[in-house]
Amino acid sequence: MAILLKQLFALVRLLNSDTGTNQIAAGVACGLILGFAPMLSLQALLVFVCMFLFRIQIGAALASAFFFAMVAWLFDPLAHLIGSAILEADSLQALFTTMYNMPLVPFTRFYNSVVMGAGVVSILLAPLVFLASRRLIAAYREKVVARFRSSPFWKLWSGTVFFKWYATYDKLHG
Amino acid sequence: MDKPAKKQGPIRFEAVIPMLIVVGVIVLYFSLFFDTHLRRGIEYAAAQANGAEVNIGRLRTSVFGASVLIADVQMTDPVQPERNRLQVGEIRFRMLWDALLRGKVMIDEAAVEDVQIDTPRQRAGYVLPVEPEKEDDGPSASDRMLAQMKEEFSGNVVGDLAAIAAGTSASEQIKLAGGELKSSAHLDGIEKSLDETEQQWRERMDALPRGEDFNVLRDRLGKVQLKDFKDAAQLQASVKELQSIRDDLDAKSKPVGEAGSKLSGDMGSLRGSFSALDKVVRDDVRGLQARMHLPSLDTATLSRALFGMDVLGQLQQARGHMNQARQYIPAGSAEKKAKPAASKSRKGRDYAFGKPRGYPAFWLRRALVTSTLSGGRGLSGEILDVATDQQLVGRPLVATLKGDFPQQGVAGVKAELVIDHRTAEPVERLDLEVGRYAVAGRSLVNSESVTLGFAKAAAASGFVAELRGEKVDMRLSNRFNDAVFETSAKSAVVREMMAASVAGLNTVSLDARVSGSWSDLDWKLSTNLADALAKGMGRYLQAKMDEARKRIENLVNDKIGEQKQRLLARRGEFEARYQSALAERKAQVDKLRGELDAARKELDKRKSAVVDAEKQKLKQDAGKLLDKWRR
Repeated sequence: MAILLKQLFALVRLLNSDTGTNQIAAGVACGLILGFAPMLSLQALLVFVCMFLFRIQIGAALASAFFFAMVAWLFDPLAHLIGSAILEADSLQALFTTMYNMPLVPFTRFYNSVVMGAGVVSILLAPLVFLASRRLIAAYREKVVARFRSSPFWKLWSGTVFFKWYATYDKLHG
Repeated sequence: MDKPAKKQGPIRFEAVIPMLIVVGVIVLYFSLFFDTHLRRGIEYAAAQANGAEVNIGRLRTSVFGASVLIADVQMTDPVQPERNRLQVGEIRFRMLWDALLRGKVMIDEAAVEDVQIDTPRQRAGYVLPVEPEKEDDGPSASDRMLAQMKEEFSGNVVGDLAAIAAGTSASEQIKLAGGELKSSAHLDGIEKSLDETEQQWRERMDALPRGEDFNVLRDRLGKVQLKDFKDAAQLQASVKELQSIRDDLDAKSKPVGEAGSKLSGDMGSLRGSFSALDKVVRDDVRGLQARMHLPSLDTATLSRALFGMDVLGQLQQARGHMNQARQYIPAGSAEKKAKPAASKSRKGRDYAFGKPRGYPAFWLRRALVTSTLSGGRGLSGEILDVATDQQLVGRPLVATLKGDFPQQGVAGVKAELVIDHRTAEPVERLDLEVGRYAVAGRSLVNSESVTLGFAKAAAASGFVAELRGEKVDMRLSNRFNDAVFETSAKSAVVREMMAASVAGLNTVSLDARVSGSWSDLDWKLSTNLADALAKGMGRYLQAKMDEARKRIENLVNDKIGEQKQRLLARRGEFEARYQSALAERKAQVDKLRGELDAARKELDKRKSAVVDAEKQKLKQDAGKLLDKWRR
């Protein structure tokens, strides 16, 4: 829980800074794939490994995974239809038969209609979500953060001893 | 305010240590806790399947070897929780990594050792509560059939017979039992039908031609000229009038003829209703017998009462195992990949893309079952090809078992189970023989008035069941040798009767066959114990039962006799009345038709004379003309 909270605080801090736009956007895109995939599957494990290995904002990934998991749950019937259509396509039968009998690949559970449908949708949407997230983060920083920092409340708050002490601490240990 | 951002590359090198820690934790978990958690999980799942507690003494897994060892498995018997229905010393198997990497479980060979049945437990196992079956569309036809059979077999026929032998007053029961009778209702129906028929006949008779209608025709006939014709034209006019009268008579007499046929039909129908009354009376008598618990003394009923529940229990057990087998080993089909159903669940649908020589989701190729005891006795057998996709494997599941369970007094066990789900029609076949097993304290009849059971016996059993699609063919042949009966009853007469019935009966045989479809089963049960009881109890009971049956018949006849006689008399009077009225009309028609025939004959006679006279006259006139011409 502490790690999770730390990641979420880091997300808020990064969101309010001027850097890390790509990290957050990549995290949201990874969260989309995670949210649409079954928890215990090979693709979820791969995404987790990527999140740890590459500089992807984990807090953003976890938060968006939580959000997209709910969206995916709502769209399960649609995912089932899409997945069924793909899995029943005659031209893909040979490919699926090979994949089904390959080592490790069955652990993706690609042969399940909902997993296949949701997986294809999430992979197609991931680049779009990445780009949309970048724009939204930029717009947020421009419209919300800048306006908030110029507000009298923030000026009053940033002048307090406590804030100065925190800023020093953050500079040294953050 | 914000610290300057550090220059960082895309790879998170600082995450290497946390990742190593995570891997370490996982390894630690698998080393220390995984076996325990897996054991608990298997115990829970097995208990759900068994319906009672399942314990596993020891479980050891090896990740690199992909092997599992399960030791000291005890499956509680849900009927006797203080005993195990099955105890296995050790189960060992090794899975293939090649299959595991494909998400499949493939076991080349497993060993199942020290198999025992019916062993005592150290403490009673918990039994799971039986959950009522959830049926979206209510119970199926086969469930209804089995429930009906259960109701029939659970009836206490022998207890009822004993109650009669003990002297329960039949006449008092009859008073209680004699409520509404079907035959009374049937007679009310006949009376109503008679009323309606009578009303219809009154209307029909009113519509039929009466005497005055025939008199009008007779008057017209009287006016027809039958002689002294001056010329042929006059005669022709009479013929025409006569024909017109005949046509009118035909038109009027037609409904009379039709009414005759209808009366025969209506009377036939009423007679049929009275004939059906006899059957309804018989039904009433049977119904009252049932309400009085006056059972039949026939051997078929007694056989069902004695062993019906046993056979039904085995059938239900077979059905339960069949359903499980069909759930976990789906039957093959020509259309391997079924079209997905409408999204009924959020779990979606799993598709199988098997290929020849591929792995099914689970495949145990061979399991050796052994249980060796001192003296070389024990059990041996093998289980071949337990697979979730038999079409892919190409072989049915075959399990054979041979041996003894000496500690339980069971010897000569031979069993062969074949589960063949390779085609669209699933087949399960079990052939089981038990050479000898001890029976002690087994109850056959348990009622307030009497109990009967085996104190001890040495039994042998043969059981063959074949379930093919929705068809069942189950045969059971049991022999209880050296049978010692125990019986108890409150009444001395009943005690004496039961003792006399089973005296000298050392071997009890039971032969049963259940066949047909699950929704329509044909049951055949026979046992020499039923023959003996029927004969023995008959000596004591036949007179009492005949008397009771006679009383019932009298009760029914008393209740409906007066109404029946009254209706029979009414029907006779009705038939006579309308037959006589119709005969009278018919006589009038016949008489008039006779008069018309006579008139017609008379006219025909006159017609010849008139024609001859005309011819003569013409001849004379022609001669005169010729003479005149010659001159």
